[in-house]
Amino acid sequence: MRGRKLSDGQFAWLLMVPGLALFLAIIAYPLVSALVTGFFEQSLVRPGRSFVGLANFADLLGGDFWPVLRNTLVFTLGATIAPFLIGYALALALNAGLPGWLRGLFLFPWVIPGVVVSFLWLWIFNANYGVLNGLLGTHISWLGEPTTAMIAVIVTKTWASFPWMMVMLLAGLQTMPKELHEAASVDGAGAIRRFRSVTVPHMRAIAGIAFLLEFIWNFQHFDTIYVLTGGGPAGATKTFAVAVYDTAFKGFDLGHATALGGLWMLLLLVLMAFYLRKENA
Amino acid sequence: MNTLNRRDAFRLLGLGALGAAVAACAPDASSGGAPKGDAGAKTFGFTSWSLNEEAQKGAVQAIVDAYAGAKQVKISTASFPYNEYLNQVTLKLRGGQLTGAIQLDISWLAALAAMGKLKDLGAQGAKGGYTDVALSSGQFGGKQLGLPWTTGSIGLVANTEILKKAGVEELPATIEEFEAALRAVAKLGGGITPYAAATKAAQLKDILPWMRTFGSPLLEGDTITVGDDASVAAVEWYKKLYDAELIAPDVDRFDARALFAQGKAAFYDDAIITRGVVAAQSPDKALTGKMAPLARPVLKAGDTPQALLWGHVIVVVEGAGSDAAADFAAYATSDTATVASFFEKVKLPPTTTAGLADPKVSGDTFTTEWTEKITKTATANPFWRYAGYAQIETAIAEQVQAVLVGQSPAKEALAKAAETAKPLQK
Amino acid sequence: MTATLTRTVPLASAPRRRRPRSRVAAWIAVAVIGVFGLAPIYWLVVTAFTPDDKAFSFPPALFPTEITFDHFTKLAENEQLFGYLVNSVIVSVVTAFLSVLVSAYMAYAFSKFRYRGRKSLMHLILASQLFPQAVLLITLYAVFSATGLLGSYAALILSFTTFTLPLCVWMLKGIFDTVPSTLMEAAAIDGASRWRTLHQIALPLAAPGLVAAGLFAFVRAWNDFIFALTLTDPARQTLPPGLVHTYLGEFQTAWPDLMAASFVVSLPVIAAFMFLQRYLVGGLTAGAVKG
Repeated sequence: MRGRKLSDGQFAWLLMVPGLALFLAIIAYPLVSALVTGFFEQSLVRPGRSFVGLANFADLLGGDFWPVLRNTLVFTLGATIAPFLIGYALALALNAGLPGWLRGLFLFPWVIPGVVVSFLWLWIFNANYGVLNGLLGTHISWLGEPTTAMIAVIVTKTWASFPWMMVMLLAGLQTMPKELHEAASVDGAGAIRRFRSVTVPHMRAIAGIAFLLEFIWNFQHFDTIYVLTGGGPAGATKTFAVAVYDTAFKGFDLGHATALGGLWMLLLLVLMAFYLRKENA
Repeated sequence: MNTLNRRDAFRLLGLGALGAAVAACAPDASSGGAPKGDAGAKTFGFTSWSLNEEAQKGAVQAIVDAYAGAKQVKISTASFPYNEYLNQVTLKLRGGQLTGAIQLDISWLAALAAMGKLKDLGAQGAKGGYTDVALSSGQFGGKQLGLPWTTGSIGLVANTEILKKAGVEELPATIEEFEAALRAVAKLGGGITPYAAATKAAQLKDILPWMRTFGSPLLEGDTITVGDDASVAAVEWYKKLYDAELIAPDVDRFDARALFAQGKAAFYDDAIITRGVVAAQSPDKALTGKMAPLARPVLKAGDTPQALLWGHVIVVVEGAGSDAAADFAAYATSDTATVASFFEKVKLPPTTTAGLADPKVSGDTFTTEWTEKITKTATANPFWRYAGYAQIETAIAEQVQAVLVGQSPAKEALAKAAETAKPLQK
Repeated sequence: MTATLTRTVPLASAPRRRRPRSRVAAWIAVAVIGVFGLAPIYWLVVTAFTPDDKAFSFPPALFPTEITFDHFTKLAENEQLFGYLVNSVIVSVVTAFLSVLVSAYMAYAFSKFRYRGRKSLMHLILASQLFPQAVLLITLYAVFSATGLLGSYAALILSFTTFTLPLCVWMLKGIFDTVPSTLMEAAAIDGASRWRTLHQIALPLAAPGLVAAGLFAFVRAWNDFIFALTLTDPARQTLPPGLVHTYLGEFQTAWPDLMAASFVVSLPVIAAFMFLQRYLVGGLTAGAVKG
């Protein structure tokens, strides 16, 4: 009975030590340190830094922040809603008694490495030799115009993430008691009625979680955009993640990069507070 | 204190051991602990984007192998693509992960020099027999930080076959003639881009010589003149070509080379390296014979054509193995047999008087023609002297792109570019 | 025997008597989404086998008329890419193991014990998914640089392990919640220590969840781009930045080569999923379905 010397609470904390240590070193400390750096002028390539107060934040709010915010919101919403709808439709279809191997087939886009996904769509969207232009008989420079470039990155991200939505939602559908539907059927409810009054309420929790997770991930998504457009043309697809990376590691301007990160965090806190209030209401 | 029992502690230790195992995968910090600049060092690194480019890879590797074999040393090579190069080299250099010799574009010298990690190669520079122009391309802040590997210029290349088909018999000399030629080519159809000009941000710096052609000095004293009437006129002209589909969206240097190599572009901007690259990519083996360098068209006849000085230097990082790396840099750039054979393979002109006089080089008409028409009037980009040069260029490129895609008018955009660039002049 | 029996049960819900009309609608939806989902993969494969001169014709031929293996033989000769592959395997496998271990302990503590600060910590760990990783990267670069870990496998492994914690802990907590506490109490009465209860009862029962968590962590590490791009040195680059650095330069135009490389790189992950997908799906959804 040697293990009995610790209280349950102490034992639990002991189990959490490795995870907490990693959390502190890799997330908590860097986060705090980054938030502090936002108040300094600091370069990646030169030593030393000087306190500049709110100057970095003022610079950003006076210009660059707004287009980046807009791009991030457009991308995040687009790349979350589209795969959600596609994934939901697919989950409903697969749940209607279609063979099980189909689900495995649809997982392919999800398990292909993100960079490969970007390469693939870069080739599909290619203005001169791309298959998309080939099918349409056009010579549109998809990645060269602001609007089409944004659509292109959203389509690409949608393609990569609808399978995950499908898996989550299908799992939710499969836990739905058959009797509920049968009862509704007996009551004479049509397919659409049954979907609205039985399926949707049952799926609310899991659909909410799937949507929220995807939203959070897209909010800081980097790979697709960086490889497909690099944030261009003319900054039209520059989201927070790309802007922070470029400012820090291509512009070497750590002060502005972390200040942008600070504004990003602030925005998330506001969104979170809003979400939690709605949840609790 | 609570009583952490022995078994619990042991289990935690196990986890710690796992952590230590992970940490053991870390690079051994002591392996680079040779005395500073040890000339007898047996290993050093060489970082080069040319090793990433099909057309040059073999030739560069041959130099590395020859030196490594002759001196019994081991050179570990690394490469990043040109568009990611400055970014990656800066990150790796700052983190202390890059040592030895590094190939640089002359435009990046100031940025890397600011980090204070480059070795002064004055001794090697003095005895290498380099031409004065070449040598100056490797100097910064009064020091010889880089040994010139090749010095040339970025200019325009034409596909004379396409021009002939379009009825353009003479290479255009003025902007007016140039535009007429582009329109003539556009009439050919067949998916040909008349001028595969850079329109992606990565190489939109190609517009700077056009701004100069229109009469903007770019920089006067320490004042950026981007945004003056001449530069606005240049960008508006570029936009006109863009709207008329005489230049294509979403093109960078690599796309341009591919288009040109496939016979799908009549003009494009490149360094003298163009012939080697196009030859390597093109399905048409006779294409190099149809290529002609031309002086950049001028605003009105009699003006001096604008061209951008261009070149590579090799720098050496201070510290372990730096003497050996410096010796390698000198060998690669000034050994006459090496540079002549390198020229033969990739057509990059050497930087030493002896190298240039070598019959392999002096007997090459494309190169002499290029030197005569383009390099002769080439000048350095005035922004190169700022460590923030790459960001200045990005600021301008992004705004020009905004004009091309119709987001903002030229005057406003360039004024904004100048404003963004101002704090970067350091 | 039971195990083999359950495995033969189809993954989607067993076919029931349905009106044929809804079945037709379902097939139509699957077909439409199938084109969107699978046509790009078809195109990847076709391009990888297309000779260079055919790849650059416009409009492209949708069905290959000529097939070549050149791009794959070229790939096999590329030692550098093989090095990236090895790096990716090392980083991903170690991340997967470490992540499972660390998050299983943590999830177990969250699931089976009640103590002060439990709720807030749990929320904090979960919420950390929100924190912008691009921003963390800026200071992590400095941290790893100062500790000499920059450019090492460890820098990547520690980062990935930490970033997978929230989801892995959440998944595993969901699974531990389903393990009846009575089992553990019984074990305790039998005199088993808490360590033994954890290792010999709870963990084996949660095995499918552990596989799922491990797979998730593996994929996170295998696919990561931004950290590997910034924190590795050239010799320890993983495949994603390695591919970008190999093909987004001069070779950007070598689409068939790039597609061949993409095809090969995707195969191991796809194979792993073929074998393990039912665990992954079960594990991923266990947490979610429980709420």
